[in-house]
Amino acid sequence: MPTSEEILARLARIAEDPNRYAEAWKKARGRKVIGTFPMNFPLELVHAAGALPVVVQESGQPITLGRTLLFEFYCGYTRSLTDQAMTGQMEVFDAFFLVDHCVALLGAADAMRFELTDKPIFLAQYMASMDEAWNVPEIRKQIDLLRAQLEEFCGVTITDAAIAHSIRLYNRNRQLLRHLYDLRRAGRIRITAGQMQVLVKSSMVMDVEEHTSLLADYLAALEQENGFGEDLVKLHLSGHFCHAPPIALLDMIESCGAVVVDDDLFAGFRYISTDVPETGDPADGLTRWYFDRNTNVPCSTQAQKTVDWETYLVKSLEKSGAEGVIILMAKFCEPHMLYYPELRKELDRCGVPHLLIETEHLGLPLEQLRTRVEALLERVSRGAVASPAPARHLQPHP
Amino acid sequence: MKSYVMGIDFGSTTAKTVILDLKGKVVVSCVAHMGAVSGEGVKASTEGALKQAGLTQADIGRTVSTGYGRRMLDIADKNFTEITCHARGAVTMVPEARLVIDIGGQDSKVISVDANGLVAQFAMNDRCAAGTGKFLEVLARAMEIRLEDMGDVALAAKEKLKISSMCATFAETEVISLLAEGQTKPDVLGAVHAAIASRTIGLVGRVGKKGPVVMTGGVAKNPAAVHYIQEALGMPLILPGDPQTAGALGAALIALDDYRSEHKAELAAMEEDGIEAQMAEDKACVPGCRGNPTAAPKKGLLGALGF
Repeated sequence: MPTSEEILARLARIAEDPNRYAEAWKKARGRKVIGTFPMNFPLELVHAAGALPVVVQESGQPITLGRTLLFEFYCGYTRSLTDQAMTGQMEVFDAFFLVDHCVALLGAADAMRFELTDKPIFLAQYMASMDEAWNVPEIRKQIDLLRAQLEEFCGVTITDAAIAHSIRLYNRNRQLLRHLYDLRRAGRIRITAGQMQVLVKSSMVMDVEEHTSLLADYLAALEQENGFGEDLVKLHLSGHFCHAPPIALLDMIESCGAVVVDDDLFAGFRYISTDVPETGDPADGLTRWYFDRNTNVPCSTQAQKTVDWETYLVKSLEKSGAEGVIILMAKFCEPHMLYYPELRKELDRCGVPHLLIETEHLGLPLEQLRTRVEALLERVSRGAVASPAPARHLQPHP
Repeated sequence: MKSYVMGIDFGSTTAKTVILDLKGKVVVSCVAHMGAVSGEGVKASTEGALKQAGLTQADIGRTVSTGYGRRMLDIADKNFTEITCHARGAVTMVPEARLVIDIGGQDSKVISVDANGLVAQFAMNDRCAAGTGKFLEVLARAMEIRLEDMGDVALAAKEKLKISSMCATFAETEVISLLAEGQTKPDVLGAVHAAIASRTIGLVGRVGKKGPVVMTGGVAKNPAAVHYIQEALGMPLILPGDPQTAGALGAALIALDDYRSEHKAELAAMEEDGIEAQMAEDKACVPGCRGNPTAAPKKGLLGALGF
């Protein structure tokens, strides 16, 4: 039985280089690898078609040729996708499927379509109006369209039974990951933010059954802990859509004297928050999942009057006991950037110390950011115990 | 128990040291100019402060460091960020202040504070040096003018020119272009300072505008920077006597908090001794005086504080 560190190291290698894993999978199975894009694509459909669904990740390589197709003011993820397409880093993928949530991502998909003429790119238009009754049948239509496109591309019939089977497999995977989140929130295990990212990110790119099996082993091998150190400040990490923030940043945050107890990152709890209903028509289940996810963890890319991200965020802090929030935002991520004032307003109203960190494709001024993180932690720690020496007692020289 | 605490602000271009006695009175403060995060510079500052105060490191009970190089100082018992220390120092210098604008060599920050000098919210410049002392340094070189003369020359500006506030490198190109167009140095320098002001106002917007506002950091000594920020802010800036040492003062005050809380019992006993001594003083010239007050043994808090 491998140790938890050994399992994590294996998952980290895959999360770091998902294309290599996909190449090996393809060679071993002789089936197609299909790239999908964040944040709403139902991987179950691709799995039910017998292909390997991979949520395409940002590359750690600098942007070179990609500069010619997308401007610098596109987010790092979309620029990286374009660059990967132009520099031959997407060979392993047979096709790409996406459901729309962002105009920048559509731009990247167009750039990829222009560059990768031999690889089909399928788009289904998912509407973001979550309260409208007409949108439910619209999303269902889009799922049927994706199903038909996948059947044609993979040369198979995707049966309801196959979709239902895939749903059960992905639900099991999400449940195990959510269990880890519950244990971490309760202080019963210590998983760093970087390790949690590895666990979730690897689930986006691996064969679901293999990942679930490794997760089960990991859970069995984990040692129980009794809470976090008293002197560590508990933090919630919020935001960072579409792609994973750099692990070096997450490690730096925790090295300042903090422990991350919860998150709503896409490469985190947002991705695994919601299961697909397992009863009834499976395509209806995938439709329901689209709406349920936004109710469970609201997203600023969608419009729903009955829920909002800031209320969810504050409630999450109550559950996890987090004392502060670090909002991680990919630079030029418009859906996040335009919503940030709402988050800030609510956190201020509730007196929650918070900090915004913008990330870029490459290059983080870690030492400068460390000062900001430490200042946030000092604000939490020193705010709790007011200074014993009132200013008026002090006598600076004139 | 020792009688002094020290705060060191190991900044990007200068090192500042403040030594306090246990009552919180500033015994000495010392600023040393240096190269980027220079160990020699910070040594010059701490040694200079100790020498001026007639003390040695052994007399210091607690040392707290802040600034870019805060973690590089072996003599520091603890370190805190410049955000926390500047807030504490600035509110001590100007107790009514609720917003601190600090523009140093490499960074600029705006901090909203409460009455205890605790940070409520803060914003810092990104890695770009625009709007910092470095921005002025780069442009001083481009315009062949001494850094310390820039402010006075800029105040003589007659025309309102505009340059980019986004990037020091872009700004340098624009400055060269304006000079090539025949614009005067004061007008161009006025635009340089206005660019710093607009950058600063952006940071103020991120934490929320409120007053009274205190300005600290080396750039607070530049009259044109103060003028243009006041104009852009629409509010007066309060300038403390020694704006560069706010961070070091804040660090020293945090050191004092820690030291006093660690030696609470001894200090309380000394306070009592102090009262007894004061009572004795009321009756005699000096406690223990046997006809020679200056040679009388020093006792209690007054003695410990060197009185």
